[in-house]
Amino acid sequence: MIILKHLKVDDVSYVSHKDILRVLQRGLKRAKIDVKYSQGYVPHMLTYTTTPVPLGVQSKAEYFAIDCLQTDKDDVMRRYNESMPQGMRAVDCFYKDKNPNLAGIVVASDYIATCANNLPKEIEKIKDLKSYVITLRKKGGETEKDVSSLIYDLKVDGNNLYMRLASGNDNLRADAFIENINSKFSCDIKINDIARTAQLVNVCGELKDVEEFLK
Amino acid sequence: MSEDIALDKLKDILLKVQKPARYVGGEYNLPDMDKPCEERVCLCFSDKYEVGMSNVGTRILYHLLNDTEGVVCERAYAPDLDMAALLKENGLPLFSLETKTDIKKFDLIGFSVQFELQFTNIVYMLDLIGVPYFAKDRGEDIPPIVAGGPCVVNPMPFADFFDAVLIGEGEKNLDELVKLHRECRKKGMTKSEFLKEACKLDGVYVPSLNNPTKRAVVEDLDKAYYPTKVLVPNCDIVHDRSSIELFRGCANGCRFCQAGFYYRPIRKRSVDTLVRQARELMDSTGYDEMGLLSLSTSDYPQLKELVEKIKVEADKRKVKLALPSLRLDSFEAEIYEEMQGASLTFAPEAGTQRLRDVINKNISDENIKSSLISALKYGVKNVKLYFIMGLPTETEEDLQGIVDIVKMVKYLHSQYGASKLLNVTVSTSIFIPKPLTPFQWERQISIEEMYQKQEFMREKLRIKNVKYSWHGAQSSVIEAVFARGDRTLSKAIVKAYELGCVFDSWSENFDYEKWMQAFEESGIDYKKFLQGFGEEEILPWDIIDNGVSKKYLLFERKKAYEGISTPNCIGKCNGCGANRLQRCEL
Repeated sequence: MIILKHLKVDDVSYVSHKDILRVLQRGLKRAKIDVKYSQGYVPHMLTYTTTPVPLGVQSKAEYFAIDCLQTDKDDVMRRYNESMPQGMRAVDCFYKDKNPNLAGIVVASDYIATCANNLPKEIEKIKDLKSYVITLRKKGGETEKDVSSLIYDLKVDGNNLYMRLASGNDNLRADAFIENINSKFSCDIKINDIARTAQLVNVCGELKDVEEFLK
Repeated sequence: MSEDIALDKLKDILLKVQKPARYVGGEYNLPDMDKPCEERVCLCFSDKYEVGMSNVGTRILYHLLNDTEGVVCERAYAPDLDMAALLKENGLPLFSLETKTDIKKFDLIGFSVQFELQFTNIVYMLDLIGVPYFAKDRGEDIPPIVAGGPCVVNPMPFADFFDAVLIGEGEKNLDELVKLHRECRKKGMTKSEFLKEACKLDGVYVPSLNNPTKRAVVEDLDKAYYPTKVLVPNCDIVHDRSSIELFRGCANGCRFCQAGFYYRPIRKRSVDTLVRQARELMDSTGYDEMGLLSLSTSDYPQLKELVEKIKVEADKRKVKLALPSLRLDSFEAEIYEEMQGASLTFAPEAGTQRLRDVINKNISDENIKSSLISALKYGVKNVKLYFIMGLPTETEEDLQGIVDIVKMVKYLHSQYGASKLLNVTVSTSIFIPKPLTPFQWERQISIEEMYQKQEFMREKLRIKNVKYSWHGAQSSVIEAVFARGDRTLSKAIVKAYELGCVFDSWSENFDYEKWMQAFEESGIDYKKFLQGFGEEEILPWDIIDNGVSKKYLLFERKKAYEGISTPNCIGKCNGCGANRLQRCEL
C-alpha cells in the first residue's frame, strides 16, 4: 500500500470530489502504476481517500492510498507527478504493509483562512463557548446545529485565521463555518482563500498529524 | 498575454455557479501556453463545455494549432445561463479557459457551429464577448471572427455574423488561414484586405464578398494530423473517452443523410496508423474507453484485423472498446458479443421495405430478422430501434410497418431469446430535408401532420416492455428552417436571442412561441423554407460547392420516387462527383 500526500490547489480546487476520484484513477493509468482491482462483477481500482475538502477550498494535505504491486514509493510518486494535472502534485509518499484506513481514523483537520483585512480577535472566543449554533445548508433546506464540540482550536493572527475542526465521521465543513464567521463578524473571507494544511488522527487520546503517523 | 480579466471577481463567482470546473481549464495534456508565438487564436464552441469537449473536430483543430510553430490556441465554450448572468452582473467579458484572457484580445477568433439549434448561441457568445453581432458592424479593433463546422453545408443563415466561413475540413485550411492572418498583420493590412487574400485559399467563403467556394478536403487522411496527446477533462463530459477516426465519408448513400454526402470523398486510415494512434491515446489519456469512430464502422475493410489488434493493446490497459455506427446488414455477431454487452441499437429508419428502398437504406426485412436472431441468442436484453417519420412518400402503412417490426422483435425474443426479459425502445425523429441530400428539394411535413403521426405511434406502441420516445415536432421545424434558410434569417436569430432564446438544443430551454414571435417581428415567412424547392430554383446554398454534384442528387431523387435503391459504392463508383475534390479510397 502506497500513500501519497498531494495538493489540491488553484484551478483543481473547483473540481468536485467525485470528479477528482476519476482524475486520480486516470492519472494512475497514465502513470502505468499496477493498481490492484477488486474481484467483483465490475472490477474497480483499489484506491482510498480521506474526507474531501468542500468545493473551492484548497488543500495542501490530501491523502490518497493506492493498493498496488509496486513497493518503490519514490518511483510511484515520481510517475504520479508526471501524470497529473497541475494543482494535484504529490509532496510526500509513504509505504505501509497494511491499509491504514485513513478515512476511518482521521478525526480533525487544520485549516488556514486568509482575509484581505485583519480579523477580530473575538473569533478565538468561539472555541470556549459551551454551545455554538450555526446554520448549515443542506439539499432539503437549512438546519441549525450546535458545532461547539466540533471546533478544537481557533487562532487569529493578523489577517489569518487558523482553525482545527472535526473532520471525518463527525465533520464540520470549513466553508460553512467561515460563512458563519463572515456574517457574524462582518468579515470577507473568500472560500477559495481557505486551505487545509493538515489532517490529524487520534493516537491514544492525542491528535497527531497523519504525516507523522505514517512515518 | 497576461491574465487580464479581474481574477478576484472571477474567483467569487465561480463558487456561485453549477460545476465551476467547466470554466477553469487546467486539464491534463494542456499544450504549452507560454511558447513564443506571433498569433493567438481562440476557438469558441457554441455549446456547453460538456458537449464541446466531446467534439472530435474541435479537439483536432485545437491541438493542430497548438502544434503549429508560432501559434497558440485557447478555448471558450458557451457558459451556462447562471455563469453568463454573473459575468454580466460583474462586468466581466467571456474569457478563455487557459489564460483567462478577454476573447476580444486574441488575434483571431474561431467559432465551431455544430447544429442548427445552436445558432442563437453564436449571438449569445458574441454578446458575452462584447462585440457587435454582425461582421459589418465590427471595426478594425475587433479581430476577424470566422466559423467552421458541419453547419457550413449551408452557412447562409449565420453567415452575416462572421468575417469568413471555412467550408470543409479544418485540418486543410484553418492553419493556412491562421498563417495568412499572421502575415497580413505583419504587413499592417486591414481586415478587409486580409479577407480579400483569405478567399483565395481553399474553402474560405467571405460573406461580404459572397465568393463561390469549393469545399476544402484533406487529401491523405492516413497522413493527416491527428492528435494523440489530447486534453483529458477534470469533470464529467458527454463522450468521456478517447477516439480514433477509422475513415471519413460513407459509401451507403442513404438519401436523407447529410453527413453521408457531405463527408465524401471517402478516405481511410491504415490499420497500422490506427493501432499506433490507439496505443498512444490509451497511454496519454488514461481513459477507460475508446471509440472507433466513422459514419459506418462495419464498412471499414479490415475491421476484424483492426479490432483484434487494438483489442490486444486495450486489454493490457483495461480499456473497453466502443464501436458505434455498426450497420445492421453487416452486423458481426462476434464483434458484437465482445463489445456491446447487453444492449443493441438498430436504425432501420423506415417501417417497410418499400420506404427503405425510397430512402436507400439498403437493409431488407430478412437482414433485420437474421441480425436480431443472432443478437437475441447472445442474450441481448435491450433493443433500441430508430426510425424517421415524415419521409417522402410515407403512408400510414409505413408507420404500421414500424409497429410490425416491434412486434416481430417481441416474437423473435419469445422464440430465440436467451434472456428472460427484453426491453424495446423505439425512437422516432422527424424528417428534415437537409441540403446536399437527394431530398433537399422535398418539403417538410406540417407540424399538424407531425403531431398526428406521433399520436398514431403512441396509440399503436402501447405494448408491454416497449417504450416509445419521439423527437420534438417544434424543434424539428426550427431545425429545418435553419438548415434550409438564407441570409435573411440572421436577423431572426438575433431577434430570437433578444427574446430569450438560447441553448435551443437543450429541450428545457427551447421555446417555440418565442421563435414564432421572432419570425413575425423580423418579418420573415419561415414557412417558405419548409415548402419544397423547385428543381430549377437556385437554392440558398448553391454558391457552396460541397463536392457531390447537383445532377447526381437529382438523379438519386428520381430513383427515390421510382423506389429504386442504389447499391453502396464500395468497389463500384456511382459517380456522385465527390472525387473531383479527392479520389475515393474505400
